[in-house]
Amino acid sequence: MTRMTVNGQPVHYRMDPRTPLLWALRDASNLTGTKYGCGIGMCGACTVHLDGRAVRSCQITIADAEGAVVTTIEELSRSRDHAVQQAWIENMVPQCGYCQSGVIMAVAALLDSNANPTDEEIDVAITNICRCGTYPRMREAIRLAARVARGEERLASAPPPGIDPGDAARSVEALTPPEEGAEADPGRIVNE
Amino acid sequence: MAEGSNRFGITRRRVLVGGGVGAGLVVAWAIWPRSYVHNLVANDGETIFNAFLKISEDGHISVVVPQAEMGQGVWTALSQALADELGADWRTVGVEPSPINPLYANDFLLSEGAEGSLPGFLSGVGRWAAREYATRNALMITGGSSSIRGFEQRFREAGAAARAVLCKAAAARWDADWRECDAENGFVVWGEERVRFGEIAAEAADYSPPGTLDLRPTGGRPITGQSMPRIDLPSKVDGSARYAADVRLPDMVFASATQAPTPRHRLKAVNREAANNVFGVTAIFENPRFAACVGTNWWAANRGVEALAAEWERTEGEPVDDASIDAALAAALDSDGGSRFVNEGDLAAAFGNGPVRREIYSVGFAAHAAMEPLTATARARGDRMEIWAPTQAPSLMRAAVADAIGYGESDVIIYPTLLGGAFGRKVEHDAAVQAAIIAKRVNRPVQLTWSREEETRSDYYRPAARARLSGKLNGSGGILALHTRIAVPSVNAQMAARVFPGSGSGNPADPDPGAVEGARPAYGIPNLAVEHMACDLGVEGSIWRSVGHSYTAFFTETFIDEMAHDAGVEPLSFRIGMLNDAPRLARCLTRATALGGWDGGEMGNGMGLAAHSSFGSHVAMVVQVRIGDDQRPVVQRVAAAVDCGRIINPEIVKQQIEGGIIFGMSQALGGRIGHANDEPTARNFNDLRLPLLSDSPEIVVDLVESAEEPGGVGEIGVPPIAPAIGNAIFAATGQRLRDLPFTVGGAT
Repeated sequence: MTRMTVNGQPVHYRMDPRTPLLWALRDASNLTGTKYGCGIGMCGACTVHLDGRAVRSCQITIADAEGAVVTTIEELSRSRDHAVQQAWIENMVPQCGYCQSGVIMAVAALLDSNANPTDEEIDVAITNICRCGTYPRMREAIRLAARVARGEERLASAPPPGIDPGDAARSVEALTPPEEGAEADPGRIVNE
Repeated sequence: MAEGSNRFGITRRRVLVGGGVGAGLVVAWAIWPRSYVHNLVANDGETIFNAFLKISEDGHISVVVPQAEMGQGVWTALSQALADELGADWRTVGVEPSPINPLYANDFLLSEGAEGSLPGFLSGVGRWAAREYATRNALMITGGSSSIRGFEQRFREAGAAARAVLCKAAAARWDADWRECDAENGFVVWGEERVRFGEIAAEAADYSPPGTLDLRPTGGRPITGQSMPRIDLPSKVDGSARYAADVRLPDMVFASATQAPTPRHRLKAVNREAANNVFGVTAIFENPRFAACVGTNWWAANRGVEALAAEWERTEGEPVDDASIDAALAAALDSDGGSRFVNEGDLAAAFGNGPVRREIYSVGFAAHAAMEPLTATARARGDRMEIWAPTQAPSLMRAAVADAIGYGESDVIIYPTLLGGAFGRKVEHDAAVQAAIIAKRVNRPVQLTWSREEETRSDYYRPAARARLSGKLNGSGGILALHTRIAVPSVNAQMAARVFPGSGSGNPADPDPGAVEGARPAYGIPNLAVEHMACDLGVEGSIWRSVGHSYTAFFTETFIDEMAHDAGVEPLSFRIGMLNDAPRLARCLTRATALGGWDGGEMGNGMGLAAHSSFGSHVAMVVQVRIGDDQRPVVQRVAAAVDCGRIINPEIVKQQIEGGIIFGMSQALGGRIGHANDEPTARNFNDLRLPLLSDSPEIVVDLVESAEEPGGVGEIGVPPIAPAIGNAIFAATGQRLRDLPFTVGGAT
């Protein structure tokens, strides 16, 4: 059986049950934010949350994930405002960006279970490979995200996605305000 | 004033010819019999201003960037240069990758390359020839830390030209003199009057830029010189950044491939039956140079490739392994056939009577190991082939794909995507060619991705190299003579043969000044020689972040440290004393040692330093190491001082220095890559032992304020870190390590 919940949606993968979760997510669900890096569970580019834990999705078959709740980078936050994402932007962590989805998911899971990790705990938990060498910024961003998650600091670095043209023009004068009656952006995310 | 009436009439030619550009480019244009017109597409409401800029009526600014964004921040930095001249509001700026066009050729890289490879009087001719070749053939290439040096001026001019025509259009509305208008924050302003770019863009296209462009001063600007947030930042924290393997097309299938271990090998046999039995495999391809499986998902396709168990047959030559490589390097180093590219003073006389210190150094193979393996998505539609791929050289990829499938170049369309790291590997186009061959046959869109094992096995490594350095002190705290000979294949020759069909010999045993770049130290040494002992290791090599500097800096800066020790002079003073003619590097040393709390290199403390100039920039580093319980060196802290000239985005420069340090640590402290039976022994990340977060030192970077022309940034952090670590290990242990990767006390 290969049924599970992916980003809140019930899913039944009609694939070889030995298929690693990574490839079901990427090639069947088209959730391409989760990356392939090594296929042997080393680099962590494929990290997702499985029942709230960070796992290397290349090492879990869809049969093993039966019944699990899977969350990918796409669903970490609808409005890109998770503390880790905010801290990542504030500290300008990404370079090529390929590994970052996996790192962010690993850090988010770490902070969920440990709101104030020591450097040693961070070293043990975050074993992802970043070839661009963003580690020094990563460490600073993890500390910052932890402070944000604990409510000690606030951040609003990242522009939320899906701002409609009217909203955008109100905050950025250089943009032309849309004409009255123009259709709202169907991709807009409404905060409830 | 005579204004053009063509809506899209602002061609780059007119912008450039009119636009106060460097003399070289003006001459190049003047002698050309033809002009190039951009091939941009305007979306609804967009006006094309020139080859680098579109403005939409809603106020969005699209900067068109030919340079590949591989993490180095070039989309952001070049956009800053343009946006500032334009007077844009940074929040309205976006980027799109440029199409292939000679307008986007990187003439800077080739001219700089030609400069060094031709002796004296010929270099000017070589520069011209290289530049013409680059532009006529639309050689778009990202590498050599050349993007800012080669394109900043063009982007500034593009912005300034657009500002002028926006001002003209606005001035016509106001019945004003356009020279009294300015543009700022996305508005044209004149006294109390102001109008948004978006409202006036279409009208502005009816005007021509003036004969002379008025560039803004570079200091005190709101966008250039500031750490603006990277344009690609938001998409890289929520998974929405689209890399080539994230392309999804209707009916698309997935493929994996394995290729011949060397150009001397051909496919001998595959187990088709085993691959056919893999659930999800739908097609199998055999080609003399590669074998591939297509499947309904990539994992199935890759299992198919594993089941194929491809066997390869060597068609010529002897097998390559560690022993043959070692023998080739040793023979080259001892031969008489070297090419002396630097020869100053009288070496023989200076060495005349001893004592002379002579040491042998070596570096191992280094893998690119970008996180994103090679990948390409190909779709054959009618008589056209479309390719989505990460590439540092789209026009070369287009030529290679067209050649492989027998299409005209105009029938191949390359859509460059974001690169998930490249470091030199993605100048080449292996996966795109394979994807096109497969797509043509299956008649469905195909997404080919190499497995990490294939990526590691079929990487073109930075080659192993060996050097012999001989030096003599002058008796007053300096060096009288230095003789550096380096045995290494010419990867430029090898790479050129693979990616520029028909260019050069392709023989790695051809002498190449590029192979010893950086071996001439910045230090004032009266008697000096640098020799390239070219050799063929039987292994295909390629450019790797910082290219020759990645080993020449290690050889030189370790040897200088040894000489300082011999002279009994503290390593910083020893270096500074010889840097009278290199004040910028000397200043970096002074600042790095201040920042790093330099202790004089006292034995037992574990502090080392190194300095190196490359790509027009200067870097010095102080490193603190300790030797761990397992005998492995642990890099605790790195203080780097960098002079890269005028800076467009300080935070991006810091990112590159930090990243360069970590990258350089991988060749100093990573796994050793061996060869056996014509193949590298490394298979996956576990064999490469790349640095992790837990290995990452604290890094502090001091950027020297400078009004000099911008230097390169992407590679300059790599060269000094390995020798600085080695010198620190010496200070910690008294053990002088002369081979990369380092082995301390037998621990590997």
